[in-house]
Amino acid sequence: MSAEDIRMLSSEELYVYRGEGGVLQGIVDGKTYHELLIFLTFPMRYTSEYVSIRTKDGNELGIVRSLAGLDRDSAAVLKEEIELRYFLPRVTKIESIKQRSDLWFWELQTHLGSIRIIMRNLHDHIQFPGGDRILLSDLDGRRCDIVNWKQMDAHSQRLLRDIL
Amino acid sequence: MVDELPEIFKSQLSEDILFNVKTDLDTQGMLAAQWLAITHGDVTLWQEKAEPIKRIGIEEIKEARAVSNIGSGMLVVETTTNGPIVIARYTSTLSTAMSFAAKLITALAQGEQLPVATKGDIPRYCSTCHSPMKEGTKTCEFCLSKKYAALRMLGYLKPYKFKGILALGLLILSTIVELIPPFLTKIIVDDVLQPQQPGTLFVIIIAAWALTLLVMSSMQALRGYIGVAISSKLMGDIRKDVYQSLMKLSLAYFDRRQTSQFISRVNSDAESMRQFMTDGVIYIAGHLLRFLFILVIIFSMNWKLTLLALVPIPLLVFLSISIWPKVGRRLYQQWRAIFRLNMQVGDTLQGIRVIKAFGQEKSELVRYNNANEEVVHHDMRSEKMWQLFFPAFGLLTSLGAVLIWYLGGYQVLSNELQLGVLLAFVAYLGMLFGPIQWLSQMISWTSRAMTASHRIFEIMDTPADVADHPDAVKVPNIKGDVVLQQVTYGYEKHYPVLKDINLEVKAGEMIGLVGHSGAGKSTFINLLCRFYDVDEGVITIDGVPIRDIEQTELRRQIGVVLQETFLFDGTIAENIAYSKPDATPEDIMRAAKIANAHDFIVRLPDGYDTRVGERGHKLSGGEKQRVAIARAIIHDPKILILDEATASVDTETERQIQEALANLVKGRTTFAIAHRLSTLRNADRLVVLDRGKMVELGTHEELLEKEDGVYRKLVDAQMEMSKIKGVGS
Repeated sequence: MSAEDIRMLSSEELYVYRGEGGVLQGIVDGKTYHELLIFLTFPMRYTSEYVSIRTKDGNELGIVRSLAGLDRDSAAVLKEEIELRYFLPRVTKIESIKQRSDLWFWELQTHLGSIRIIMRNLHDHIQFPGGDRILLSDLDGRRCDIVNWKQMDAHSQRLLRDIL
Repeated sequence: MVDELPEIFKSQLSEDILFNVKTDLDTQGMLAAQWLAITHGDVTLWQEKAEPIKRIGIEEIKEARAVSNIGSGMLVVETTTNGPIVIARYTSTLSTAMSFAAKLITALAQGEQLPVATKGDIPRYCSTCHSPMKEGTKTCEFCLSKKYAALRMLGYLKPYKFKGILALGLLILSTIVELIPPFLTKIIVDDVLQPQQPGTLFVIIIAAWALTLLVMSSMQALRGYIGVAISSKLMGDIRKDVYQSLMKLSLAYFDRRQTSQFISRVNSDAESMRQFMTDGVIYIAGHLLRFLFILVIIFSMNWKLTLLALVPIPLLVFLSISIWPKVGRRLYQQWRAIFRLNMQVGDTLQGIRVIKAFGQEKSELVRYNNANEEVVHHDMRSEKMWQLFFPAFGLLTSLGAVLIWYLGGYQVLSNELQLGVLLAFVAYLGMLFGPIQWLSQMISWTSRAMTASHRIFEIMDTPADVADHPDAVKVPNIKGDVVLQQVTYGYEKHYPVLKDINLEVKAGEMIGLVGHSGAGKSTFINLLCRFYDVDEGVITIDGVPIRDIEQTELRRQIGVVLQETFLFDGTIAENIAYSKPDATPEDIMRAAKIANAHDFIVRLPDGYDTRVGERGHKLSGGEKQRVAIARAIIHDPKILILDEATASVDTETERQIQEALANLVKGRTTFAIAHRLSTLRNADRLVVLDRGKMVELGTHEELLEKEDGVYRKLVDAQMEMSKIKGVGS
């Protein structure tokens, strides 16, 4: 086993901000980085916890246990960066689900805007990670998240119930 | 269809556009369209308005890169004054196009030769379904030939058209014959069973009746006999086609799927299709014919009563049409539930050792029960629907009969109608509505078959990622020069695991591939075998790009000894001669001898005829490996790929394997994923991979001299490990 342990970053050790060019930058352990990458270590379970902070080349500088533990500015920037990096629109409404020439077309309203995703079938493209959550993925590997299908509007629920 | 830059933006550019692309995210990550255009002078980005939102001169740019995120990506340029700048964001649909944009910008900025966009770099969309189209295809793979699943399914009947026509002829005949008995009833009641009639006519009619029954039964038997002959062969044809399609598919298809699902898929889906095509088609045709014939007969008997009898039909048709889509979806749900259950069983059985070792039988049982309950739920749901549907159909059709009895009975009582006519009418009516009730059965069969055919055609229509080029060549006698030029590849296109690999290997040279796990060693050899196609760059053998070599031909020239030695169910001899079924016993023994396997094989009670594989004799890891080496020797490839086993074997076995390998590599271009120092020393040159990049290249000695080199560290670590082992033992 490697002697190195997981390094947890405290709010004193980490300060991040968005550079003028829109790239995430920051100071870790007093050292300035012109480009930082972030990775959610548990992207499905924790979307604002256990965030791995890495250099442009992918070397891990440390892990933020929770955004809540950081100063407000850094937390806001990190939250924004997570949203940008993990493209996972949350579905607010399902407009339609149609099957045409053996493809399934979903017209969706999401918190990022409206999107149309195409599936070749349902059994390879729909996942049920647990609870009432549904993950839809399309032919290009884009994913949309239905956080709780039972809390959606009646129209969306009816469409889902029809096929699920 | 390629998205052209709108005129309003185009007019703002003073130079020719080198590349333009319509993005699907704005810089804040919201779903929106932006336009990116690259010219010799600058990179410009617009959103809705005419005024560009970003414009950066090429002279300000050092380099550009496409950074892949999860499901999305961003195009970043490194500027001389302002550091990195995010130019555009996009969803993963545009990853390839943006990678090209990044390469182009970098080339412009650094004054290098501009890359040429291949078809794959430019996103093209199908005009009907808007799904992205594959490189080199003219028609959309998703839309093509899928609309006519039913017709395509019936296409399987083609080879049996003569038998089919015969069966159909018999069907028409027996349908006509079937219609005779009610007519005879009418004659008996109205004309024969009259006091003044002689008995001979009665006997004749009865005899005719008996004869009709006999003819009918024999025709049915004959038809059934033909039906069975067709259906069994049909089933075989479908299975064969599916299996053929599976074999044709690229490795990437199987990487993403659990293979055990195919067994159930191929069998049960083929069965549903067969049922429709043989029983289904015959029933549809038969009942439709009967329906028409009867309609004509009863219409000519009494048109008023006929119209009355037809009253429930519009309702039946309406009911069928409205229920149709629901049936399809429920059946697909049911299919999916069973699919998940099957997958779970496959998973559990494959991992049974792990389950037992960790004592997780109970939790597996719980998982199974959950999936099982789901199947039960869906079974009940779709069956319940039938239970409601069938009686409803029955009720509607019986209502027609009640109406006829009521009005027809009145007419008989008032002498407007003969009793025989009414009896025949009611009998025909029973036959008329029989098929209509069958209609509901038809819906069930047809939808089942459609569901199954969609799944089966899905496999057949999946394009092989690695397909043979139409002008692929044979390379009968190769020398074995291998060149990799700027090879980049990722299992997910936007996440390369091998980056910009350049390597020239001379025929007969032995190359050791070294690196941490996940460095890209296995990917390297997968690309050499062309299990996957490179995303960028080219691999050539004797100067011919491997994309242009027929795959069977290519694999014939490449021999592989993999880490996980897989022996097929069969004898050792069959396994050794796997790639050369015509090998003589001498060939087999010679190969085994070189592989140091001959002696242990001969000592086995059944010698070369020992059954190995799933149900056979258990060979040890070292023995299996030597059989695999023998298999590669008999294959006699010019290029050899070794993925050395990491499993620890005793020193004597290790020596034997090493010796066998040394015999094998002689005179062949060899790529070996090496773990043991001994192999590393034997290699002419070593390629050190680190996170997908080639970081070092040289001989064992050369690389050891690099104080801070990756290879040096790896070797030191291995020495350390063996010291620890030494102390421990």
